[in-house]
Amino acid sequence: MTSRPEETATPGAFASGVSRARNEFARLISYLVFGLGSVYLSWRAGQLPSSRWEPLGAGSFPKLVFAVLAILCLMAAVRAVIDIRKIGKLDGLGSALCRWIKIRRISFAIFGLLAVYLGALPYAGFSLATFVFLLIAQLLIADISKKTVIQSVIAALIFSVGLNMLFAGVFNVFLPRGVLFAG
Amino acid sequence: MLDAFLAGAHQVFAFDTLIYMLIGSVAGIVAAAIPGFTVTMAIILTLPLTFAMDPLQGVSVMLSVYVGGYTGGLISAALLGIPGTPSSVATTFDAFPMARGGEPGRALSLGVWASFFGTVISTVILIVAAPPLALIAVKLGPWEYFSLIVFALTVVASLVGNSLMRGLIAGVIGLGLATIGPDPMMGRPRLTFESDILMPGLPFLVVLIGIFAISQLMSEVEDQGEKSGQALIPDSIDFKTWAVMREVLMHPVNLVRSSLIGVVIGALPGAGGSIANLLAYDQAKRSSKTPEKFGKGIADGVVASEAGNSATAGGGLIPMIALGIPGSAVDAILMAALMVHGVSVGPRLIMDHPDLAYGMFVAMVVSSLMMLVVCVLSMRLFLRVTDIPKQFIVPTVMICCVIGAFALNNRVSDLYLLGAIGLIGYGLKSLDYPLAPLVLGVILGPIAETNLRRALMSDGDWTVFFTRPISAVLLVAALLSVIFSVRSILKMRQKNRPATDEQDGD
Repeated sequence: MTSRPEETATPGAFASGVSRARNEFARLISYLVFGLGSVYLSWRAGQLPSSRWEPLGAGSFPKLVFAVLAILCLMAAVRAVIDIRKIGKLDGLGSALCRWIKIRRISFAIFGLLAVYLGALPYAGFSLATFVFLLIAQLLIADISKKTVIQSVIAALIFSVGLNMLFAGVFNVFLPRGVLFAG
Repeated sequence: MLDAFLAGAHQVFAFDTLIYMLIGSVAGIVAAAIPGFTVTMAIILTLPLTFAMDPLQGVSVMLSVYVGGYTGGLISAALLGIPGTPSSVATTFDAFPMARGGEPGRALSLGVWASFFGTVISTVILIVAAPPLALIAVKLGPWEYFSLIVFALTVVASLVGNSLMRGLIAGVIGLGLATIGPDPMMGRPRLTFESDILMPGLPFLVVLIGIFAISQLMSEVEDQGEKSGQALIPDSIDFKTWAVMREVLMHPVNLVRSSLIGVVIGALPGAGGSIANLLAYDQAKRSSKTPEKFGKGIADGVVASEAGNSATAGGGLIPMIALGIPGSAVDAILMAALMVHGVSVGPRLIMDHPDLAYGMFVAMVVSSLMMLVVCVLSMRLFLRVTDIPKQFIVPTVMICCVIGAFALNNRVSDLYLLGAIGLIGYGLKSLDYPLAPLVLGVILGPIAETNLRRALMSDGDWTVFFTRPISAVLLVAALLSVIFSVRSILKMRQKNRPATDEQDGD
């Protein structure tokens, strides 16, 4: 929930203050997540056995790094709380979150599609999975019309089958063939 | 030295290498001309294509993409007013008004020539500075190396992004990510949670692609509710190539000063072309007799910004070749490419592989010449690149990222890591965490750990880090960089208190 152009551009100190408080609140959550995570990882690293051959074992460096991270996150979180209290205008969080998600709906849709694509890649093979991914992703980003559908199909074909052939033939990089097409 | 230089030159001037470099140069210019497509991303996409090449051939191709990329950002900056890459932000200040004022050809030619001279000047400094620095660096012990990495990370954290604290957090997260997998000295698995995916550790390039490329591509399709810049590509453009070359050379002080700024900024870890671009512009404006003309289409503004960002290419290679510390994310990828080929990058690079090091110097000069020739001959064609819609670019580049991550180890599990890291990178980017310190943390983490453990193996006393002079100086410099950063942020806060939203560094 960092400041978007439309938020920062909003005239008036009140809107700016609210926006800043929301940003700080979002970051505060990230500091807490990273802080707690690093405390846990520092503890896990401390469980690793020490070495007979050196003063620092395998766990010492990660323990040190995650301890430093926990301290930094704590400092940042305290600072964020002070800032939020100073601004004192932390309202409309729900609607801000909805707007934040709405702005990024295509980004999240593309990421979801990428996750499905990566999951399907070993089974469907590079060419088929990539063709479907490219086609859907292009139509998600562009407005659907007869022209964009035709353009997307052509582009998807070139960059799925074409790239596969290019990498296999020219660079000797063999992309997943897929369980469906193996043998 | 001469033998090594000739051996390197012989490899670079091989016909196939020159052809690949030419393609790389064109690809770099085209990629960077597309708004939102960074030089880093172009280099990442080039990497898998170089796996089948010799180390020097692969790095030469990547350098040609690098040099071409810094120039390509100029095209959309001058014609659309949108920086093609973050390193061409200041270029828009004068190149765009100049283009709008009816001189788009002059604006582009000024930028191209300034980029060329900037790269050449930085390469000369690289050739002079890197070998002696490497000779000093081989004498450094693990204490000095560890302190150097601490210094590098604090400098990166304080220079990049809007908040020192988030920069430091990102850097330490990077160091933490690097500890996952086998430990660098004994190979004992750490923090893997018995997962097969995490057992070999997080491959640096997968982290890099996920953090930089996937997160950037996801940002590109956010609905900002704003239209892209107005196209400004007239049917006839007069580039006035040779007249403009003379014009650039008529301002030698500005050209050399901006290039030197680029070299120094490039040599600082983490501070890349985007800072050099702005700083060189700022210095040109301060030193000008007519500062009021800046921002209205003055030639000095274009020359300073483009010479500044292009000179970081050579500057960034100085710490990488001499110390094994990458100056920027792009240098980190170059370093990783050499590591993929089994070449250990560090101060011994010049001694163990002199042909490779000197070949890189030659490749820099050849790349800048190629960029110049390609731009002069075919700039008109590249102008059309800015018209390619996002719907084709974003998914296609995503696929190229997937291929790059897969081709590294032929492991499907790396793709799952890519997706997860991409999402984390996008989250961090959305929360305004700088990503460069994180990536440098990942690459410097194992080096830092190895040196720390070596240092304490030979002498278990921690105070040695403060009693060895060079180590102490580096740690004090690290502390000073943090103090100065905090001081400047506090000053800026006081100055802009009512208006500021983003400058909340702590």
